[in-house]
Amino acid sequence: MAHDGQTVPIADAENPVLDDLLTLTGAALKPAQTLLDRAKASVAGLVTEDGRVSGGLIEMHQTAAHGLAWLATYVESLRQMQAWAEKLNGEGKFGETEQLIQQIAFGEYLWQMYGGIPMNQGEFVRPQDMGLSQDDQSVLMTDAVRTLTQAGNTQAARTRLVALMQEQSANVTVGASGLDDELEMIREQFRRFTVDRVLPDAHEWHLKDELIPMEIISELAEMGVFGLTIPEEYGGFGLSKASMCVVSEELSRGYIGVGSLGTRSEIAAELILCGGTDDQKQKWLPKLARAEVLPTAVFTEPNTGSDLGSLRTRAVKDGDDYRITGNKTWITHASRTQIMTLLARTDPATDNYKGLSMFIAEKTPGDCANPFPTEGMTGGEIEVLGYRGMKEYEIAFDNFHVKGENLLGGEEGKGFAQLMETFESARIQTAARAVGVACSALDISMQYAQDRKQFGKPLIAFPRVSGKLAMMAVEIMVARQLTYFSAMEKDEGRRCDLEAGMAKLLGARVAWAAADNGLQIHGGNGFALEYAISRVLCDARILNIFEGAAEIQAQVIARRLLA
Amino acid sequence: MKLLVPVKRVIDYNVKVRVKADGSGVDLANVKMSMNPFDEIAVEEAIRLREAGVASEVVLVSIGVKQAQETLRTGLAMGADRAILVVAADDVHTDIEPLAVAKILAAIVKDEEPGMVICGKQAIDNDLGATGQMLAALLGWGQATYANKITVEGDAATVTREVDGGLQTVKVKLPAIVTTDLRLNEPRYASLPNIMKAKKKPLDEKSPADYGVDVTPRLEIVKTGEPPQRAAGIKVGSVDELLGKLKEAGVV
Repeated sequence: MAHDGQTVPIADAENPVLDDLLTLTGAALKPAQTLLDRAKASVAGLVTEDGRVSGGLIEMHQTAAHGLAWLATYVESLRQMQAWAEKLNGEGKFGETEQLIQQIAFGEYLWQMYGGIPMNQGEFVRPQDMGLSQDDQSVLMTDAVRTLTQAGNTQAARTRLVALMQEQSANVTVGASGLDDELEMIREQFRRFTVDRVLPDAHEWHLKDELIPMEIISELAEMGVFGLTIPEEYGGFGLSKASMCVVSEELSRGYIGVGSLGTRSEIAAELILCGGTDDQKQKWLPKLARAEVLPTAVFTEPNTGSDLGSLRTRAVKDGDDYRITGNKTWITHASRTQIMTLLARTDPATDNYKGLSMFIAEKTPGDCANPFPTEGMTGGEIEVLGYRGMKEYEIAFDNFHVKGENLLGGEEGKGFAQLMETFESARIQTAARAVGVACSALDISMQYAQDRKQFGKPLIAFPRVSGKLAMMAVEIMVARQLTYFSAMEKDEGRRCDLEAGMAKLLGARVAWAAADNGLQIHGGNGFALEYAISRVLCDARILNIFEGAAEIQAQVIARRLLA
Repeated sequence: MKLLVPVKRVIDYNVKVRVKADGSGVDLANVKMSMNPFDEIAVEEAIRLREAGVASEVVLVSIGVKQAQETLRTGLAMGADRAILVVAADDVHTDIEPLAVAKILAAIVKDEEPGMVICGKQAIDNDLGATGQMLAALLGWGQATYANKITVEGDAATVTREVDGGLQTVKVKLPAIVTTDLRLNEPRYASLPNIMKAKKKPLDEKSPADYGVDVTPRLEIVKTGEPPQRAAGIKVGSVDELLGKLKEAGVV
């Protein structure tokens, strides 16, 4: 149906790419921002009391506030997609694949902004949830947005995109990433490593619930994974966060556990780099860079997840040293590691984040028979659905000894602030891991859809199958661009907590959708443990939970937007 | 001793090759290109010889389009020391013939005076497998082709060659040309620190004219076609029927 006398373009099966695409998508950004501005004003009205944003009111209007976070995530996503498309266009690399990705992304996300954004598959946020009227909603529907929603994400476009994906299966990514040659060379090398060294065994590691072999860790160390962003003066390579993203993405595309090994050292290093004394940096960073020590993060407690400020593990002064007592849980890779970045309360008079301190606690690595040989420390394994390969533990500390020199920064009470400084990087990393996991779902189900034949044709010939694959490829690119943007902002030294949180929020949803739809393409076979997609489904599930559950993530984004 | 390693930028081995509609060649527009796998093995071998203290420097050469500098950067990231790019074509579809390549290489050998040239045994795009041998002839050097093992002692190299039905070991006096076979080694992954170093390594750009070589093709490609489609088979009910059909087909 034509709107206001406008001729609505008809999707052409032969050439579904819209004319003047970049102008159209560029013109859609302003109305998208206008809708966001209205939503923000409306939600601000709901949660402001006496001129200040009230925590209690945000809680009362949680759906509105979180909806705002999602809407803002979509607007930022489209902005970054436009930046990506224009950059490629300038370099002569905005080919048909990239054009289709761009047009499907805009078509789909604009429609969702108008009609309902899935925060997950059960909760949709609509403009009305944010207190907007249908008149407010209509500000989005400019001519450009009408064209894109009408003819952007069509079956013809999805089918053509998947045809191109089949033709260009040798390319490492579906569509050019927009990164420079050096970063793409890094990607190529890590993709090769993953295909040769990780993919052949990943599923067995998962099924047998085994630790990732030390041999793989040594090979990753040789390739420079653990010292990636550590400055050269501390034995690292001083590379960018963007390069860390590429490495995490490609390794996670093989196995999330392998992609996470680097992340863990990276975050420990960042903690020491931001908060440590010179001596601590000199001592620990070169060892982390060479993977001579592997770190584990010991923050969460049985009763303290997202609300870290209330944690109860105590660190009591004992001469110059400390004695740690308390329970910790969800400690990934707890046994085989040499150091723990451990958050504990040094000031018993406090019950909030102010009395917390961070320690670089040394321990003897354990093995399966004796996971925790160090005195004062015991633990048990938590069996998990996915994200295996490093194993999860709960740990009890009883008068566990930590040297006084291992108090991070040499000053008590700084732990929470020190940890907060690493959150931007941790979110960026996690977003990159999510992109990698989503890519693995796409790789696996793309292959299956071509190999498996039903009713006399490969599954990929059916529109509902190719449609799933096309949407995976499109959303992977959206999450990827948001992730790279955050990383590059971080590299430029700019604040990027908002964008990093958005990238993690979106990336996790995209990875879960890709894994779930990938399994669906496999039908009954996908439900069999034997098929790799069953692992990817389990692995993808953690992304919406760790490093800030989707709800907390949306809350943090909303608070920043409304502040 | 200096080692010279020529590398060719070719269609990536994972690409589903498509023949151009007019049959004039393979469609390379927007297709992924990589270093010829046999050349990658040659680069790896040269780096290993340098690491073992046998060689002192590894110099790469690529002859082709300007984008071949990406291929050279990959070799530098693996660990080669420097590179020479001879820009001999504007269009990725223009293949420089082995004789022209060998002539340019011969001129570079005169400049660089390497102790050994390690080439891939063939490029996976046109499978001509001629450059190494032509270069040996132009230089009047010894050659050891299809190497699966190379050892250098004094002024000679002992090379184990893969030949029909087994292995042959030959000794060549240096300087010499060696071409690599698949089983010589497994090329390494470029590490992050080496990828970073690669962009600072020297990469000289030259043209065929600098070496006085005319790269105009001498061969005419008559036709390039897709491999014939495999015809559908039939099911037979018994051995007798099978024999009958085979006789009918004239194969028994």
